Amino acid sequence: MSFVGLLQVIEDSAFSTGLRESVYMWACVDGVHVLGLCIFLGMLLFWELRLFNVGLRSASVSETWDRLSPWITAGFVVMVISGLLLFVSEPVRFWGNIFFRVKLVALVLAGLNALAFHYSIGKRLVDWDARPLPQTAHLVGVASITLWVLIVFCGRLIAYNWFAPLV
Amino acid sequence: MSLQPLFQWIEGTELAVAINNSTYAFALIESVHLVALAVIGGAVLVVDLRMFGLGFKNQPVAAVATAARPWLIGSLLLILLTGYLLFSSLAAGKYYWNIAYWWKMYFLLAAIVYTFTVRQPFALRRAANASVGVTKLVAGVSIFLWLGVAVMGRAIGFI
Repeated sequence: MSFVGLLQVIEDSAFSTGLRESVYMWACVDGVHVLGLCIFLGMLLFWELRLFNVGLRSASVSETWDRLSPWITAGFVVMVISGLLLFVSEPVRFWGNIFFRVKLVALVLAGLNALAFHYSIGKRLVDWDARPLPQTAHLVGVASITLWVLIVFCGRLIAYNWFAPLV
Repeated sequence: MSLQPLFQWIEGTELAVAINNSTYAFALIESVHLVALAVIGGAVLVVDLRMFGLGFKNQPVAAVATAARPWLIGSLLLILLTGYLLFSSLAAGKYYWNIAYWWKMYFLLAAIVYTFTVRQPFALRRAANASVGVTKLVAGVSIFLWLGVAVMGRAIGFI
């Protein structure tokens, strides 16, 4: 079976149809997705700011991460679960939407960017409590914010069928 | 007095007509509106959560509120500006008749007034000497009002 065929099977399932045609459930999941964004990206922003030595400077770099990361993680989990549900409700249309594809690529890049940071500079954050972060950290911060703003834009624009479906 | 004539005038302004006639303007402004929502959410929550004893426990509430203030004010201005542009394009045709829009505006007015007359002065000056219960109450009301704005805003699209 082709990938699109698999997506079609999902879309034809009772679960997907129920979600897609529900009066309140889809709106609630979508609302939760946006509120998850609020928590995730809002908190992530304060973390990125700390990389630039802006924001709450009285907290050290490692403490800032310790305090914010539970909220960033929680917001991210909420977004992934609600996002998967939204995808499952209309998988064929989503897969055919150019903004959805760009969003997927940007999500992978944002993930790699975060991994690269946490396995290099961020491996021992306490090391940077006493001395300034290297320039690379600023680059990571700029890349992260740029990618996430792009992801928000793409996510919002998926709702519009400006271009012919890709599948 | 009905606000309908005002809404009709707003929808008729050159800027509103241009947004309404454009294929992309509304969606792009809406995207900026969403990014600003994320920033305002972070700027509100980071302080309110601190007042609940969560997050930056080693820093005083006032320090967290001071760090968040420029982002709160900046994102609020951006979200009001983009919000007005979105509203203007369909002021009389859509929003005037949308009950969720009105609820969002009531929540927004309450949230702004509360934030700048109660929550900000409290967080910046009085939180250090206030009881835990009062501090949590001030933060809880703030989260409730802003959550109301977000939920009603999302509901506009579904009514």
